[in-house]
Amino acid sequence: MGMEKTKGSREGMEPAAHQEPGAADGDARAPGGARGGGSRAIPGNRERRTPAAEEPEGRGEPPTEPGEPAASSTSIRADEADGDSNGPAGHGSSGGGEEAGPAGLARLSLPARIFVAITVAVVAVAVAVHVTMVFLHVAPDNTVSRQHSDAVDDYVLPEFEQNWKLFAPNPLQQNVAVHARAAVTKDDGNTETTGWVNLTALDGAAVRGNPAPSHTQQNELRRAWEFYANYHDDKSRPVGLRGRLSEQYMKRIVMRRFGTRLNGGSVERIQLRSAITPVKPPPWSQERMDLRTKYAVQPWWPVTSADLPGSDS
Amino acid sequence: MTDPTDARNAGPTAASGQVTAQSDGEQPRYGPAQGRHGAVPPAVPDKAVAGPRARIEGWVSRGLTRVTSSALGPYQTAIVRIGFGLVWFLFLLREWPHRQELYGPEGPWSWGLAERLIDSNHAFTVLMWSSSNSWFELVYLLALLSAAALTLGWHTRASSVLFMVGVLSLQNRSVFMGDGGDNVIHLMAIYLVLTRCGQVWSLDARRAARGRTEGTAGVVLWAVLGAVLLGGTVAGGFSLGWCLFFWALWVANGLWWVLRRAGARGGRSVREARDVCDILANLGHNAVLLVIMVEVCLIYSTAGWYKIQGTRWQDGSAVYYPMNLDYFSPWPELSHVLAGNGLMIFLVTYVTVGMQIAFPFTLLNRRAKNVLLAFMIVEHLGIAVLLGLPFFSLAMIAADAVFLPTVFLVWSGRRLGALAARVRGLLPRGRRPDTGHEEREEHGRDEAMDHGPDGAPAGIPAAQESEDDVAGTRLPGR
Repeated sequence: MGMEKTKGSREGMEPAAHQEPGAADGDARAPGGARGGGSRAIPGNRERRTPAAEEPEGRGEPPTEPGEPAASSTSIRADEADGDSNGPAGHGSSGGGEEAGPAGLARLSLPARIFVAITVAVVAVAVAVHVTMVFLHVAPDNTVSRQHSDAVDDYVLPEFEQNWKLFAPNPLQQNVAVHARAAVTKDDGNTETTGWVNLTALDGAAVRGNPAPSHTQQNELRRAWEFYANYHDDKSRPVGLRGRLSEQYMKRIVMRRFGTRLNGGSVERIQLRSAITPVKPPPWSQERMDLRTKYAVQPWWPVTSADLPGSDS
Repeated sequence: MTDPTDARNAGPTAASGQVTAQSDGEQPRYGPAQGRHGAVPPAVPDKAVAGPRARIEGWVSRGLTRVTSSALGPYQTAIVRIGFGLVWFLFLLREWPHRQELYGPEGPWSWGLAERLIDSNHAFTVLMWSSSNSWFELVYLLALLSAAALTLGWHTRASSVLFMVGVLSLQNRSVFMGDGGDNVIHLMAIYLVLTRCGQVWSLDARRAARGRTEGTAGVVLWAVLGAVLLGGTVAGGFSLGWCLFFWALWVANGLWWVLRRAGARGGRSVREARDVCDILANLGHNAVLLVIMVEVCLIYSTAGWYKIQGTRWQDGSAVYYPMNLDYFSPWPELSHVLAGNGLMIFLVTYVTVGMQIAFPFTLLNRRAKNVLLAFMIVEHLGIAVLLGLPFFSLAMIAADAVFLPTVFLVWSGRRLGALAARVRGLLPRGRRPDTGHEEREEHGRDEAMDHGPDGAPAGIPAAQESEDDVAGTRLPGR
């Protein structure tokens, strides 16, 4: 592989950028079914055949009252709109039931109509709950979402998780490159440290001139490093399960690209560093900024068989 | 299709026609009823109470008929289905050489790593059933085939479920490989399962239009999937929620098949059961269609919402930066030229934010919405090329398509159909193109909700045209 060796390893920590283009972190959990919730229900089917309808007292209020779908489906509402001779087919206000509705709402028996009415209410509630949950999940942290964050997470994760901070609030303004090097043991027993290899540059070369870059070139290393950086503290110590997973993931990515033999020796340990270079301000802007690359060197990691491409552990 | 005499032939058109016709003539005509309502709160004059109430009730009642009587937006849901099916199909095809590295058991995100993460987040993936490579290859292949099947609308209801299983299995297996495009596909794959997205532009619809019966393929497919489901359940491959979900779908499809056949000759109660099932399917479809539309709005409004808080979006230089990131500049020279023009970068930056924030509100006005939609699609095409994100962009365009106007879709469909017919005519042994003069099939009969002609019906009824698009007609008072 065309390795680009970089000398020097200045220290320097740059906070990993969070704002990533189109990066939605798929995390995960169990599917949510329809849940009941206190939102308004659309009352059930109010079709009827005879215009001489009665309004049961106490039900005079808005048709959008929750909890009454069954009652309203008993078709004894005075449905003024029925007077409209244009009423959708199905409001057979005059002229018998059969030409009735496209879906034959009016043709249904009472129990069927009650059933449909209840379903309408359940579906309406489910939609309201779903939309509310997703909204609270994607909206910025706010009074309501903070208060109900557990409920929202339980509902949305894992399958409805989403993140639409696309190039926002600010687009990434620096190129984050991942460099790696290895300590190899030669056949004569000597050890040697290779130069730094800019893995990201290799990805960049693969992306250039490519109308449809592969996820392996555009996302794999970029997102793996993001994952790694997010789950490591500023002393490069892993945080929790994900910290440990991300470390092994990085090792496996590097080993897949390095192979087990490098520079005529077998790879014993590897080391990574990030190299963060700010994007040059646009030509028309007066901004001045330090464009020097900053490096964050990670500890040496021993390579075990679990880190090699052949293993699935 | 099994019961051509059914009164529903005119269904959707009638319903939508009514809506248009009715929108202003909302005067209640039932004096007595009105009087009675008015009488309850004696202090308030009759009309003041009855007027708004009548309007609300009328609206609710019409809305109810609309959402139960037909699966709305047949063309919109079809284009969304085709769009996402195609994007995922092309993506899997493109990644074929890289499939092992992305999702294979020995890829960098190994089976073991995935297992540990999924133990903690419980994401759904059948790839965790076995760490063998042949299982992975099989799943990948099935995902590819199901994407093709969904695109073509072959046994749409079944293929949409397989499609979802494929998408979720692969994406959840390696969550850190994805980007925003995968995220949209993930969501839509779930939503599409609950829609009747094969009503038009599908093999199902074509089969129905030709008056053919389904043949045995559907039954075989159903039986095979049942066996797989049983195996998966017994082996404990599904969480409780997924288990219930899949079994419910399986039972519902079987029931629908039986009821449709029985309903054609059966008695009143069987027909009623069939009608109720049809209503439920319509209801589910319409609810999920609404969710899809809200989802698209949420995508744009939150994307805009976050952007407007960023200093780079405020100072008009934001668009400059992604074009200078190594991962997103496949054509550095082109990016360089564009990035050099401060005025253009400023305009694109501001217009992007403006459009994203404005999008949900333009749904109140058809023309504004259509103009904006065109802009969005063009912008996504630009992103596809400039930032090297073709699959993300295509997925976003497929999502946008849910808001395309029916007339446009029908027109495009007809043009494409004519083109295809001409191409087929040029072929030496081209079959006679299916021009679809068959009547539009009744709503909601076929398992896939076939609507008839695979192109458009020869003459789309006027009422249908006035329906324009789902978004417009869904809004109250329109």
